[in-house]
Amino acid sequence: MQSFDFNYQQFAEVFARLGKKFRLFGPKRVPGRGRFSDTDLITYADLQNPEDLETAEKSYLSPKSIVFPPDETTFYFTADQFTEPELSDNRETIVFLRPCDINGIERLDRIFLENGKVKDPYYQRRREKLHFFMIECRESFENCFCVAMNANRTDNFATAIRFAPEKVSVMIQNESFLEAFAEVGKKSDFVPEFVKKDSKAVNLPDVEDMPADIFSDSLWDEYDSRCIACGRCNTSCVTCSCFSTVDIFYPDSRNCGERRRVWDGCHLDGFTDMAGGHSFRKDKGDRMRFKTFHKIYDFRKRFSEDMCVGCGRCDDVCPEYISFSSCINKLSDRLSGGKKDEE
Amino acid sequence: MSLDINRKKVTKNAYRVTKRRNMTAIRVRVPGGHLDAEHLKTVAEIAQKFGDGNVHITIRQGFEIPNIPFEKMNEVNAALKPLLETLQCANGVVIENLDNGYPGAGMRNISACIGNRVCPFGNVDTSALAAKLEGQLFPNDFHVKIAVTGCPNDCIKAHMQDFGIIAICEPQFDYDSCIGCEACANTCRRKVTGAITMRNGKAVRDVRRCIGCGECVLACPTSAWTRNQTKFFRLVIMGRTGKKNPRLAVPFLNWVTEDVVMKVIKNTIPYIDKHILRCLAKEHIGYIVDRTGYDTFRREVLDGIELNSEAKVAKTLQWPGYDTVNDANMKSYNQRKV
Amino acid sequence: MKNNPYRPVAARILKITRETAIEFTLRVEAQADITPGQFFQVSLPRTGEAPISVSSFTRDWIEFTIRAVGKLTNVLHQLKEGDTIFIRGPYGTGFPLEKYKDRNLIIVAGGSGLAPVRPLIQKALDGSIGVKSLRLIAGFKNSEGILFSHQFEDWADKCDFTLTIDKPEPGWTGNTGMVTEHIRKLSDIDFADTEVVVVGPGVMMKFSTAEFVLLGVAEEKIWVSFERLMSCGIGKCGHCKIDYTYVCLDGPVLNYTHASTLID
Ligand SMILES: Cc1cc2nc3c(=O)[nH]c(=O)nc-3n(C[C@H](O)[C@H](O)[C@H](O)COP(=O)(O)OP(=O)(O)OC[C@H]3O[C@@H](n4cnc5c(N)ncnc54)[C@H](O)[C@@H]3O)c2cc1C
Ligand code: SF4
Ligand code: SF4
Ligand code: SF4
Ligand code: SF4
Ligand code: SF4
Ligand code: FES
Repeated sequence: MQSFDFNYQQFAEVFARLGKKFRLFGPKRVPGRGRFSDTDLITYADLQNPEDLETAEKSYLSPKSIVFPPDETTFYFTADQFTEPELSDNRETIVFLRPCDINGIERLDRIFLENGKVKDPYYQRRREKLHFFMIECRESFENCFCVAMNANRTDNFATAIRFAPEKVSVMIQNESFLEAFAEVGKKSDFVPEFVKKDSKAVNLPDVEDMPADIFSDSLWDEYDSRCIACGRCNTSCVTCSCFSTVDIFYPDSRNCGERRRVWDGCHLDGFTDMAGGHSFRKDKGDRMRFKTFHKIYDFRKRFSEDMCVGCGRCDDVCPEYISFSSCINKLSDRLSGGKKDEE
Repeated sequence: MSLDINRKKVTKNAYRVTKRRNMTAIRVRVPGGHLDAEHLKTVAEIAQKFGDGNVHITIRQGFEIPNIPFEKMNEVNAALKPLLETLQCANGVVIENLDNGYPGAGMRNISACIGNRVCPFGNVDTSALAAKLEGQLFPNDFHVKIAVTGCPNDCIKAHMQDFGIIAICEPQFDYDSCIGCEACANTCRRKVTGAITMRNGKAVRDVRRCIGCGECVLACPTSAWTRNQTKFFRLVIMGRTGKKNPRLAVPFLNWVTEDVVMKVIKNTIPYIDKHILRCLAKEHIGYIVDRTGYDTFRREVLDGIELNSEAKVAKTLQWPGYDTVNDANMKSYNQRKV
Repeated sequence: MKNNPYRPVAARILKITRETAIEFTLRVEAQADITPGQFFQVSLPRTGEAPISVSSFTRDWIEFTIRAVGKLTNVLHQLKEGDTIFIRGPYGTGFPLEKYKDRNLIIVAGGSGLAPVRPLIQKALDGSIGVKSLRLIAGFKNSEGILFSHQFEDWADKCDFTLTIDKPEPGWTGNTGMVTEHIRKLSDIDFADTEVVVVGPGVMMKFSTAEFVLLGVAEEKIWVSFERLMSCGIGKCGHCKIDYTYVCLDGPVLNYTHASTLID
């Protein structure tokens, strides 16, 4: 393991050099494309130059799109022929992302590569190309609770980077990147640090099995009227992995079309609709409960770790100011016999 | 001692004759209706020192400070200086003598809804645009009412103005980000015009139905819809309240840039100058357009302006309004006793 | 792409049997190692994909009994013999046949729930599971909804078969009443050696299993089969998840001790 320091000009040099060989993907500020006018959208996107990399603010959308795009064609149809699409970009990919998101992608691995003992090939072929360049987080952003979720640390990265005001420090774990950095940088003893304290205290429920009555507890009722089922908490979440399959046909052809999968989410209408009009979770409170348990309870039952990595994006994006982390705290309170009604 | 004042000069200086003999009221211009709270102190001081301590908030977002004796006008004008400096001069208005108060009052205060400084629906910073217009148009003696609104909700009632500037946005679609959740289509159908339909799991926007409100951008959970960085406007014109025939403004220009809006409004001044009937006390622009006809108006105000490629111009204009002298329809109404 | 689990195989329709006005059985030419209770993802390119239970199979063909309710199933309804459909599977966990060996088996099926249990009935009857006895109760809303009637004679010959419709109808001479009423009549049975399978609409399963529990059947001897919206069939899409259970993987056949703890 070796570390180097760079000024921003030198870092740009390394960046350009890496860009010749790798696809570079990371948090990017897109001016004026935020939800409100004259606000920026911070999303994950391809990076052309180092200035594209947004290191100061948390992204609105997560890096999951690099392995799990919002809309992915699984087959092209020509008459009865099924053809799998090639990847449009076959390069190895460097992803700049924070520790919580690295942990988040590992959670996606559980679903796409392990669940049911079948590997999802569409995910896998994208996933295999990734090299994590970890953006160091020393202090949590608003709404983050990665420490509580045990997702503030990771050693799963090729390099770790600190963006300080005057310099960039890089620790290299994956030797194959050594050359690109060593030629430009000055040796240093940089070692990345991790967030030690969440900006918001979140207490996870301390139970092995959820008592059955907590499913119908009045705790969830407030969300019936508060949540508008917009689905942002699912789409922005790095660990939400649900999708729906749709077949389409090209309007001008009888024979050609595609099978695609698109993001879906348990807060959205239609997620549980059955033939005959029955829907299992009509009430938004039930959806909130379902999401909460998936994130901090039942995923653990299958994979021995919680799904949620505490990135806090669901809190950042909810237009109705529903705080998932507060919901976890309310649940924990309730389970430990605490407060009944907060209102 | 009897007062001898030039009423017309006084009016031009933003004072007015009031119901109470020898008393006047000053109208403070607050372009865009947005100001540093510090200035409220100046307004309060004038009211307390020269008036009776009351302030009226006008519909055009100015302040009217009543019950000021006419002889205090000079002192009031001096006290107005800090307001003129920040609300007018800082926006580019040229005022020769800052101790003489407002150099004009025909062009009414340019009002604006709160816009995107606060409102999530706002497509532009309306107050900033109002301030910019102030810089370009004030002082001016023609009676013209202008308002800027941040989205087609039209909270400032741009439809009641001579020039109603409605900020709109062109939603742009990122095909790959759309997950077919239909949130945009639902919201556009329920709240707006139903411009979005779903085709093959993707949102499709009918540009002819779209009014550019931006609701779809707000609704999309994946940011598949975002706003074109060019800001567009719909300019509705010649709406009015008033004694003769009140009516709503109608779209004259659609999908025009800010630049076009500014130029069109500037071009209006020579148009008015050319056509106004000087025998009348103060002919409002709406009546001038009624007289010259829309074609003349359109030709003269668009003269020399290069429209952006997206721009659309109305072929004809027809105002929904009513004639206040229509007694054929108004009859006494006696509740019939059973 | 090697081993793409989403890639279906073509299967030619050998035979179509109209069961009811909106239900039909497609027999397709295909080979697979199937356990009764499992399902396939059936699809038509450009139309869609849906999970459909195996309603019968041999070494040479597989049958699907389908109710035309939507996009895909309506188009499937229009197909002719010789046409091709696409299938991938079998998926899910079927009935634990080894547990039924040397036991008395009671199967209660409601409506279209008879489709996924039909392979189980057939295997119980042809001796390949080695059950001691089979008792079958099949209930339908009305006589028009009855599936597989051409096999009833055979079933009645080989096992204790009760067919019932919910309410009396003109011209109907058979049993009437909900399946629960017929379950109640089983009180004379010694359940110690008995396994129970209940498959049908959610409400029907809820009340039928409750009836068996009342009769003293141990919960671990009751088996049900769940239906949830499914998009992938292989544990990825998340639609079928209830608590930590994926219906497409851990089910659709679930033991009652497991199923009864699940809250959607
Ligand atoms: C394990 C399993 C086994 C099944 N076996 C059979 C079977 O043997 N025969 C049969 O006819 N049907 C079966 N179904 C139900 C069948 O999958 C649905 O009816 C089918 O998806 C409808 O597809 P469609 O494209 O025709 O309808 P769509 O147009 O997609 O939908 C029509 C309606 O059905 C709902 N729906 C979609 N998918 C499902 C689903 N998976 N389950 C229930 N409702 C759904 C839709 O939300 C909508 O309300 C089974 C379902 C599961 C989960
Ligand atoms: S549930 Fe919320 S905090 Fe947890 S990983 Fe998802 S977006 Fe982040
Ligand atoms: S929380 Fe909901 S959308 Fe997210 S992975 Fe779980 S079930 Fe899917
Ligand atoms: S973001 Fe908020 S309102 Fe939207 S679905 Fe999630 S909890 Fe509900
Ligand atoms: S901008 Fe408004 S009118 Fe246009 S598509 Fe979006 S919601 Fe509909
Ligand atoms: S809201 Fe966004 S994701 Fe949903 S259908 Fe519209 S464009 Fe697509
Ligand atoms: S059907 Fe997709 S996870 Fe079960």
